[in-house]
Amino acid sequence: MGPLIPNGIIPIEWDSIIAIFIGIVFGFVLESSGFSSSRKLAGVFYGYDFAVLKVFFTAAAVSVIGLYYMDYLGYLDINQLYVHPTYLWGAIIGGVIMGVGFVSGGFCPGTSLCAVAIGKLDAWIYVGGIMIGVFLFSELYSFFEPIYNGYFLGNITLIDSFGWNPYWVIFIFSIIAIVAFAVSDMVRKKVKKVFY
Amino acid sequence: MDKKKIARVAAFRYKILAIIFLVLAGGLVLLPKYQKQEGIKSETLLSHANSTERYISTDQIANKIINQDPSFILIDVRNEDSFSNYSIPNAINIPLKKIFDEESLAYLNQNQFDVVFFSNDNFYADQAWVLCDRLGFKNLRVLNGGLNKWFSTIINPKMPNEDMPDEEFELYSTRKAASMFFGVVYSDQVTTEDSNVKPEAPKQVITVQKKKKKVAEGGC
Repeated sequence: MGPLIPNGIIPIEWDSIIAIFIGIVFGFVLESSGFSSSRKLAGVFYGYDFAVLKVFFTAAAVSVIGLYYMDYLGYLDINQLYVHPTYLWGAIIGGVIMGVGFVSGGFCPGTSLCAVAIGKLDAWIYVGGIMIGVFLFSELYSFFEPIYNGYFLGNITLIDSFGWNPYWVIFIFSIIAIVAFAVSDMVRKKVKKVFY
Repeated sequence: MDKKKIARVAAFRYKILAIIFLVLAGGLVLLPKYQKQEGIKSETLLSHANSTERYISTDQIANKIINQDPSFILIDVRNEDSFSNYSIPNAINIPLKKIFDEESLAYLNQNQFDVVFFSNDNFYADQAWVLCDRLGFKNLRVLNGGLNKWFSTIINPKMPNEDMPDEEFELYSTRKAASMFFGVVYSDQVTTEDSNVKPEAPKQVITVQKKKKKVAEGGC
């Protein structure tokens, strides 16, 4: 049956409309859970607030378990889902830049736009920085292109490249998630409380 | 339930959620695995197979070839020898054995063209149709009656009797014209050129230049 759009249950023309709707809901949830505060986001690196870790780890674990149950029951074909293509070194270098930006700025690109929407001044600066970065990248594209388009590995997953059993991976991933939640809670209790 | 009891349970809420989480994840590991069927469901295959739309008649194909319709691919599923012997013009030879080869799939598994299978009769073409339809390939057709019917209707159409309806005669003349397109020669259509008749000299036309009317001079 699923996924709904590739199998024509929802016409492909609805694609962008659904995307806008999901985007609005996602932005609303980010804002209402306090993710438009750079202090809350940076807290995960300083050890006084682990909301980011908990939210994104829970989201990933819950959705992967749900998807595999739906696949098992035949509501969804897991092989038809879109897998983002891997450009190995592009991803590594981009990840490092993104991580440094995250620690120093206190936002990820999505939450920075949420913060812009509620009028945070630091988010305005942050988004300005993103725009300058985009401009520099576009101007120097021919210089960056070998990294940007190179080291292409295709639409691979860990399951494909290592031949793991997906069900065991999910189980171990869930245990890691719970351990991470427990440890992060312990750390949070030890660190001095920060009010923001 | 009083507030104290709720508070006592609520104190464990994260532990309870964690246990539910682990049980669900562990359930995926423990569930008995089964081999999933690839391609479309059996019921869908049955409804496709029962549909009369999957057949295309020889007349329709002849019409499409003559009008140079670019929307379809003819695929001959017989072996190479029969194909080199005779086939429908512009057909591609993919023997039934090679139907799942890499290069064959480029023709079969696409959305742009209608795929029309044919063999000597329906038999191998139907087999090819079932194999491909089951994998979910789109726009598959079978030439009804295959090459035998192609031969008896298009290449060598049967002359209708006198007591047959008018439509039969019209169909016959259409088929006859089609067969002439595919290279069949009829004795009544062959005209021997008569060399005795001289072509008439074309009449010479002398055009008379008309005098231009004078433009009315400006008056009052």
